[in-house]
Amino acid sequence: MSSASLRNPWGKPRFLAGVTWVYIIWSLLPVLLAIRFAFNDGRSRTTLQGWSTRWFFGDSAFSVFGDPTLQDALTHSLLLAGLAMLIATPLGILLAIGLQRWRGRGSGPSNVIALLPLVTPELVFAVGLFLLFTTALATIGLGTTAQVIGHVTFSMSFVVVIVRGRLITVGPDVEEAAADLGAPPLAVIWRILLPLLAPAIAASLLIVFALSIDDFVVSQYLASGADTTTVPMRIYAQARAAPTPALNALATLMLLITLMALGLAYLVFKFFTRGEKGGSAIEQIASIDSGGGR
Amino acid sequence: MSRGDIRLEGLVKRYGDVLAVDGIDLHVPPGEFFTMLGPSGCGKTTTLRMIAGFERPDEGEILLDGSDMSNTPPHKRDVNTVFQSYALFTHMTVEENVAFGLRYRKVSKSEVASRVKKVMEMVQIGELGQRRPSELSGGQQQRVALARALVLEAPVLLLDEPLGALDARLRLDLQVELKRIQEQLEVSFIYVTHDQDEALTMSDRVAVMKGGRIEQCDAPQKLYEEPDTAFVANFLGSANLLSVTARASGAGCELSLGNFTLKSDSAPEQAGVGTAMIRPEYVKLEPQGSDAENRIPGMVEEVVYMGFHQDVRVRLANGDLIRADVPSDGEGEEYEQGNAVSVYLRAANLRVLDDEPSGEPEPADGQPADQQS
Repeated sequence: MSSASLRNPWGKPRFLAGVTWVYIIWSLLPVLLAIRFAFNDGRSRTTLQGWSTRWFFGDSAFSVFGDPTLQDALTHSLLLAGLAMLIATPLGILLAIGLQRWRGRGSGPSNVIALLPLVTPELVFAVGLFLLFTTALATIGLGTTAQVIGHVTFSMSFVVVIVRGRLITVGPDVEEAAADLGAPPLAVIWRILLPLLAPAIAASLLIVFALSIDDFVVSQYLASGADTTTVPMRIYAQARAAPTPALNALATLMLLITLMALGLAYLVFKFFTRGEKGGSAIEQIASIDSGGGR
Repeated sequence: MSRGDIRLEGLVKRYGDVLAVDGIDLHVPPGEFFTMLGPSGCGKTTTLRMIAGFERPDEGEILLDGSDMSNTPPHKRDVNTVFQSYALFTHMTVEENVAFGLRYRKVSKSEVASRVKKVMEMVQIGELGQRRPSELSGGQQQRVALARALVLEAPVLLLDEPLGALDARLRLDLQVELKRIQEQLEVSFIYVTHDQDEALTMSDRVAVMKGGRIEQCDAPQKLYEEPDTAFVANFLGSANLLSVTARASGAGCELSLGNFTLKSDSAPEQAGVGTAMIRPEYVKLEPQGSDAENRIPGMVEEVVYMGFHQDVRVRLANGDLIRADVPSDGEGEEYEQGNAVSVYLRAANLRVLDDEPSGEPEPADGQPADQQS
């Protein structure tokens, strides 16, 4: 409705449309080129040499599914993303509910602090965690555990943002209504709050997954060796050593997985909020997605 | 019909330094339609939320049928609430919404089904059982909220501006229906609203609230005809307020308004400077020259056409502005700006208020302090 009132009745905004399209093409071009070279028949990542899927499956030594180091990286990335997703989401939900209900002294600052990881430079965050795990928390040390903790820490803020948005949409009245009708506190949570939060929970799970699988800096700093190498780390290392289109193929797979996670998050959110008024689902996913390109 | 007796004793609620509810005592006997009426921030909703158990009173007691429940959590209280926002469970069907509370009672499945069916028919949503709340109109959603609360057959129903989000016509229909349901079920309704029409049309008794206190609590007609304070007079309908000096005289009193002397049938608590009130519909305009009792000469300053009546504003000879409701029935006189008239303020309708003289700002000149909402 607001877009209708903003529309210029005197003509189409051709200039604005032009700028928009130039931006879209410009931002997609490198990605499309990278994908194109994943299907290159030759070894080059700069010269077009026909089409093939050899860098995905065909080549026994160098393709994504032929090179064990690439496969290990993919497995490790999926493991980290899965763990981060399953740990960060419940913690983030609890944090969101807590922050939403907490009134009084300290609630203001804690709100800000909970969202701080969203704006902290990732490098600073990663260096801090590195110091922590090599000194005070040396018993944990670097490695998979540290990487999971790191991913959980920064992705929890996103969960908090999504879940709190949903809590605000749902409002406090429904919980009061449920209690008023005789539901004890635990029943209010299980039968009212969690079902109503379902879209936010689903969106959170998938977005944490996407954030974790994309992450490079935190994974790199908290890695302990070859067995804790993630896909982005693998791509970065190999791109400097002996790059082949297999890297493009791997990156293409990653892109696919991330897009699928975000797309699924969007669809699930839309499914659960069908019939509700307002475009909050779209807005929330959109805001998270743009924040996800840290 | 002995259940549903609510008694509030010295109820106080503070939010930080703000005193939201400042010592409320009231008694709602079983089966009464009781309304708390007041502007926003007067403490009416906070009081209702304390009865429901969503807020904990800082002082005082809430007694339901004689037993204190001020420390009972909401899910154990035998009262149910209808929210202004409806607060329906959007992930459940209408039927599941209505049946929700029965899950926590010892009620057999067949009884759940029959009670849900009965109450849904009572509020006329019998055919909507399988719909989702998001597929319903505002009025239908409000009916679901009502059914969901009524199905538990609690002796007291709390209603927090339940019609606030509906349009005017629908609101009228639902007012009639709420009253019908309340009389049919013989449960106590405690109703919160800022709408004077709602309060007047449905209630057995109305408490007008201001600043966390009850200003006056009476039957609607008594509140309207015999308000104690200028606030009540203004909140219910519109009122002309005149700054007068009163002295006792016989059963009533004599009032000095400037150089004029008026008679009033009301007996003020104390003589001296005070406020007299008369409703615009009781102000009669007569041809100039009449100097019988309780007549004051004036000049028409403005005539506002309001459809079924005209709002005639007359500047009295002492400087006060007074409003007269003149029915547009085709029989009365037509008034125009500048007409000289005689204003008749009947002694029976001229009421001296209990306000402290300094309490309300007096419309000594300019617009009368009235409020029509």
